[in-house]
Amino acid sequence: MNLPQLITVFSEALFDTDRERALRLAREAVNEGITPEEVVFDVVIPALEQQTTALGETLELNLAQHFLTSQIAAAVTEEMVSRFQRAPAFIGQGVAGIPRFPRAPALTGRVVIGSAQGDLHTLGKRIVLSCLRAQMIECSDLGVNVPPERFVTEAVSQQAPVIAISAMMVHTALGENGCLKVRQLLKEQGLEGRIKIIVGGAPFRFDPQLCQRIQADAWAEDGIKAGKVITKLFQEVRP
Amino acid sequence: MMTGMQRLAAAINGTESDRIPVFCNLLDQGAGALGMPLEEYYSRGECVAEAQLRMRDKYGHDNVWSLFYVGKEAELLGCRKILFASDGPPNVEEWVIKSLDDVQRLQVPSDVSSHPAFEEGLKCLRLLRQEVGGKYPICAYLTASMALPALLMGMEKWMELLFLGPAGVRDELLARCHEFFVKELLAYRNAGADVLVYSNPFGSTDIVPRKFFLEHSLPWIEKDVRAVGTPGLVYYCGMSRMNPVLATVLERTGIGVYYLGPFDDVREGKEILAGRALTCGVINDIRLIDWSREEIRREVKRIIEAGRPGGRFLFGTGVMPCGIPEANIRTMLEAAYEFGSDENGRIR
Ligand code: B12
Repeated sequence: MNLPQLITVFSEALFDTDRERALRLAREAVNEGITPEEVVFDVVIPALEQQTTALGETLELNLAQHFLTSQIAAAVTEEMVSRFQRAPAFIGQGVAGIPRFPRAPALTGRVVIGSAQGDLHTLGKRIVLSCLRAQMIECSDLGVNVPPERFVTEAVSQQAPVIAISAMMVHTALGENGCLKVRQLLKEQGLEGRIKIIVGGAPFRFDPQLCQRIQADAWAEDGIKAGKVITKLFQEVRP
Repeated sequence: MMTGMQRLAAAINGTESDRIPVFCNLLDQGAGALGMPLEEYYSRGECVAEAQLRMRDKYGHDNVWSLFYVGKEAELLGCRKILFASDGPPNVEEWVIKSLDDVQRLQVPSDVSSHPAFEEGLKCLRLLRQEVGGKYPICAYLTASMALPALLMGMEKWMELLFLGPAGVRDELLARCHEFFVKELLAYRNAGADVLVYSNPFGSTDIVPRKFFLEHSLPWIEKDVRAVGTPGLVYYCGMSRMNPVLATVLERTGIGVYYLGPFDDVREGKEILAGRALTCGVINDIRLIDWSREEIRREVKRIIEAGRPGGRFLFGTGVMPCGIPEANIRTMLEAAYEFGSDENGRIR
């Protein structure tokens, strides 16, 4: 099977949320000589992107599908990464201390992600996490009900240039212990140029303008778009 | 002047009225109205009733609520920990179902009405009935069988169980949730609730695929509705869209009121229902936090102009966030009263 054919059948497997078929296709492709790197970058990521372009445009794609496809894509990526020829390295200078392999596939950077203080919802965060991992963005999950201070200390200690905050309710999205406080802490510690904030969750889908109100650098409406926006944020970060 | 109940009845029956009914769902705002912390407020049914009455008097909308917060249902099923905030709805903090084995242990109370977690709710209902019974519809909120597990184990684990199985455990949990739903609904009806909001995000194809909706959601919806009958029932998908399933739900269940999502096209919804049921046009109330006076008026006008022609229409909000300034609540309601009636103050 050549690459374009593989993309088509893999997309179908993803759309049908058929985990076993998706994994089998990826394994067979590797056995036939397609590199695991190609599987991730040329098959999994584009296929995942195709899913969410349709999400919102047709009613046939929906939350359940987004959830299931993100899980499957993350599982396939994880398995492929374990078969990469070289350890993945980060591109850019944002993250120090990690060896760079000139021709190795790139991990685009690291994110710390959690649900805002007072918020116990996990599904949105989980979907975003899986999508980011499927897109080769390294994530550290801080869990739920995360105090603003912890977002900042973890981002610093893990050398993550992006803090991602998920909130399912208006009061946790806008509240004084959410993004607003994280922004204030970054300001106080002179970290604003080095660490960016992305937010997401139901309230932002109902009112995208809330993002500016709480001084976030960006928001994204689903897991796939989150990957794209975060990749852009990585580039904006000062080394 | 007509009462809220008369307006609602006129809208349901398609008869003449002074204006369309307007539902404004203010919950947590009640604590502010009484100047008390949310946790204390929600521990006393008489406070909730008092605040509901005061807020209705103040703003003039057509409904009052017996709902405290949705997590109450988890408390009725054994949850002992609720996380209170100072500026937003309380949330379930402890999952009743922590592992799949807990499904077998889930206890549905034999009598919801006499459950301690229902006591304050009953007190509230009694007071509301005493003060505005028959004049203003008293609303109750009931989570559908298929959505209830999200409150017991979290949406994430429930989505896994629902879509990936094991099917036996999933069906067992659904059966218990159905049993609870029926008992809870009857308890509310007995206590005098008029409007029974049947909340089911899984009844929207924004949340589940159409095929899944037809094969799984719909049969459970039918089962729920068949067990309790349609009187008072309102189909509501937690602000997700429902136009794509409206015709099917109406035909299969006979539910008479549909509370659309804010992203549903109101005109289309009305066309689908074609006079067979009451259409509720719902504003995206999260935007009321930021919208200007002009923007609010324009949006209310847009919704009402789309829904009012031909009658059988209600204007409503979602669960209004606390962050909405009072002036914006007034602006929205005044616009709804204005655009929801004719110059001579009568509509057909
Ligand atoms: C399903 C649902 C429920 C279910 C399950 C709740 C649960 N435990 O999860 C039930 C019926 C039980 C329920 C109850 C309540 N709900 Co509810 N619910 C919904 C609904 C329909 C979908 C939410 C959902 O699970 N979405 C799935 C997840 C995956 O979506 P998401 O979080 O938005 O995440 C996506 C994106 O936003 C993004 N994303 C998420 N996080 C992040 C982070 C970053 C960094 C990025 C970039 C992107 C990103 O990617 C995700 C994947 O695409 C929404 C309305 C809607 N249509 O969205 C209301 C909604 C979330 N609920 C709401 C409310 C208020 C409640 C209650 C608090 C009501 C009450 N007063 O008690 C209760 C809380 C119950 C509790 N926890 O104790 C409000 C919240 C807004 C507000 N007013 O504050 C909403 C928005 C409805 C509304 N418009 O009024 N609810």
